[in-house]
Amino acid sequence: MAQVENAAELDAYLLQVVQALHRTVKFALPRLKDDKEAGKALADCDEILGLVLEGRVSEWLA
Amino acid sequence: MFSDKVEAKDFEKMDPEYQSLVRKVLTIQSDCEIGGPHLYVESMMPTAPTRLDKLIVARTAAEEIDHFRKFARIAGDIGLDVSFVLSLPNQKRYVETFRGEIKTWEDFAVFGCLIDRIGRYQLEEFIGCSYRPIEPLLADIVQEELGHIDYGETQTRELAARGGESKKRVQKALDYWYIRALDMFGHSVSHNSARYVHWGLKRRTNAQARADYIKEVNPLIESMGLRVPDPLQGRHYL
Repeated sequence: MAQVENAAELDAYLLQVVQALHRTVKFALPRLKDDKEAGKALADCDEILGLVLEGRVSEWLA
Repeated sequence: MFSDKVEAKDFEKMDPEYQSLVRKVLTIQSDCEIGGPHLYVESMMPTAPTRLDKLIVARTAAEEIDHFRKFARIAGDIGLDVSFVLSLPNQKRYVETFRGEIKTWEDFAVFGCLIDRIGRYQLEEFIGCSYRPIEPLLADIVQEELGHIDYGETQTRELAARGGESKKRVQKALDYWYIRALDMFGHSVSHNSARYVHWGLKRRTNAQARADYIKEVNPLIESMGLRVPDPLQGRHYL
């Protein structure tokens, strides 16, 4: 049976995204009172999530 | 009732109805997984009450994206491309519940408590299901959904316990999401629902699953000092 083209690449891309989000959240959790560190982590999460939710798959895999 | 276990390599040998139902359920499941973050990330990341809450919103979204990834992978193995749901506008989501936007923290809390709980119900339907590639995904995904439900339930309970305007706002959110939750199970009399059970893809009919859900959530709502909404008012799928 033919697999979907780019399925493995999309899986790998999304796995990287998920891992990056988890790393960022984990880094920020013990630094909630640190305006700079926590603020930067939240901005990073926001940026990563924004990219995923735009859903431009062809750009991700280009 | 069909009781065999089907591997991906044998999928094309199966009855066309079975193939169609598996494709449909994988597409809808993928859409529901990514539909949640599309409802709340944009509005809740900047407005969640505390930094901790914002991080939990981000972690919840990350887990839902991962659930999408896992279902998309097994869909890809049978030639089904579900990546289009990543960019679907909310208004075009398969399930009506995901066609809006969450704008308040009360909505986010109740969504976790009621709608993620339905996510758990839907996933539990697949336990022991005849399409074998689904089963290995379930334990981790259900565990993460339990975390979302627990957080939503705790937040809902705390918001209700504050009384006054806070309780009014959470009741309003509950009135909205409770009806959508019940509708998510679909029509009680449904040809597809019976065929999913026949093919061993689900364990319960829509009506059975909805009745179990009501039995679980109504006492929970009452224990928070909130009113259980009229289960028929505003319903689309009875």
